[in-house]
Amino acid sequence: MANQDKRATSRREFFANLFMGGGLFMAAVTFLRDLWLYLYPDLGRRRYTKYMVAKTRDIPVGKARRLLVGRVPLYVVHLEDGFRVFSGICTHLGCLVKWEDARQRFYCPCHKGIFAPDGSVVGGPPPRPLDEYRVSIENELVFITIEQRQGRWS
Amino acid sequence: MRAKEWILERFPIDYQKFIEINEKIFIKEPIPYHMKKWFYAMGATPLIIFAFQVLTGILLTFYYIPSPEMAYESVRHITEDVRFGFLIRGIHRWGSNLMVIALFLHMVRVIFTRAYRPPRELNWIIGVLLLLTTLTFAFTGYSLIYNQLSYWATTVGTNFFKAVPWVGDTILNFLRGGENVNPNTLTRFFTIHIGLLPPVMTFLIFLHILVLRLHGVAEIEGREGEGHYPFYPSHFYKVIIATLFLITVMSALSVVLPPGIGEPATPDETPIHIKPEWYFYPVYRILKLLPLSIGIYSLVAGLIVLTFWPFIDEYFKRKMPKVKMHYVFGTLFVGLILILTVWEAMVF
Repeated sequence: MANQDKRATSRREFFANLFMGGGLFMAAVTFLRDLWLYLYPDLGRRRYTKYMVAKTRDIPVGKARRLLVGRVPLYVVHLEDGFRVFSGICTHLGCLVKWEDARQRFYCPCHKGIFAPDGSVVGGPPPRPLDEYRVSIENELVFITIEQRQGRWS
Repeated sequence: MRAKEWILERFPIDYQKFIEINEKIFIKEPIPYHMKKWFYAMGATPLIIFAFQVLTGILLTFYYIPSPEMAYESVRHITEDVRFGFLIRGIHRWGSNLMVIALFLHMVRVIFTRAYRPPRELNWIIGVLLLLTTLTFAFTGYSLIYNQLSYWATTVGTNFFKAVPWVGDTILNFLRGGENVNPNTLTRFFTIHIGLLPPVMTFLIFLHILVLRLHGVAEIEGREGEGHYPFYPSHFYKVIIATLFLITVMSALSVVLPPGIGEPATPDETPIHIKPEWYFYPVYRILKLLPLSIGIYSLVAGLIVLTFWPFIDEYFKRKMPKVKMHYVFGTLFVGLILILTVWEAMVF
């Protein structure tokens, strides 16, 4: 028992420090959490929208057609095994790719990135294939499904 | 301890000296004995609120958009959509109100204890400048909401400068960034509110505290030599308690009486009941009672008397040593402001 008196902190001090420190710590954590909640933008809910992008008859096999959904350029490509829809934004640094019909390829003028008609990288610096949209065909119409987040200012 | 040595090696200051200076300046700052009473110890309140204003103000700028098309909408967005936005805005709004009250009470206390008596007159003048800066803060900040009331308060408020002789129109055009309140007015007020005034305020606060520390806190007249006690822990904890109390009060007020947003500003229609914020009621009342130029001149005269009051008080002290002029002045100061405020509050 005599040893107990020599301890650096008494039990009373230990609990006082525990509650004070714990309280301050929790207050700090709560504050930082709320600060993050305030600062992080409200991205809105995910919504899926279906867009009709082409009639199957209009694009023969081996052809591609460019169109805009909002401000995003898309390419609808008719391959032998069906329709594919690619984003027209180069996966390298965000320039807009161009479909070259004669060479059957997508070409990015910024850094000479080359993509095959199925979106895969054939040459140049792009790190991954072109982004692709989910395609569905109903009644000879080509639809794509786009995921959108409806934020306050978008 | 290793961390401390690592830092000291890379940031080579004389640590012992640093500790000594810290002890001398902060921990052992001599606080006169009468400040054990809460009544005398609240001078830091405006500073605490100012700190909250800076914090919440920075947070508000993350969402506020200073353009006539977007200002009102972004305030609405903060108030209604952003998580905790209503609280941040509420604290900022209530903070501005409480800061004016805190300054007023601080001034009244200083007048009645004659804490401005020589050699501390300059600190009183710095204090008056701090009051004016705060009111400019409040006025410019209020205009940023860009609802009907704040828009027209800005129009009316800036119009007063017209009455200034010779340079009135120039000042008016300069403030508004044009002849009428226009998109430029909003950006100007925004820049003044968040860019110009904060450093001015910080500098004045620094001066205020510097002069205070150089002289030491004034003792109560006639009770000198009651002794001092160190800043830490007693007064330090008083400040902490005041801080916690204030954040609690401001949060509670923001929840119970959250600031509204009103109608969006329409420059082609003045609302029927137009009033400034309550802390401008006395000024507003005087300007309603008197013709514009006389009203402005009397306000300027009042401001000059307020600014140089320590010297005027000293003059009276020499001429009439038995009259306590500061009681008369303090009573007038409080009485006039209260009467004019209540009067204006009751009348449309």
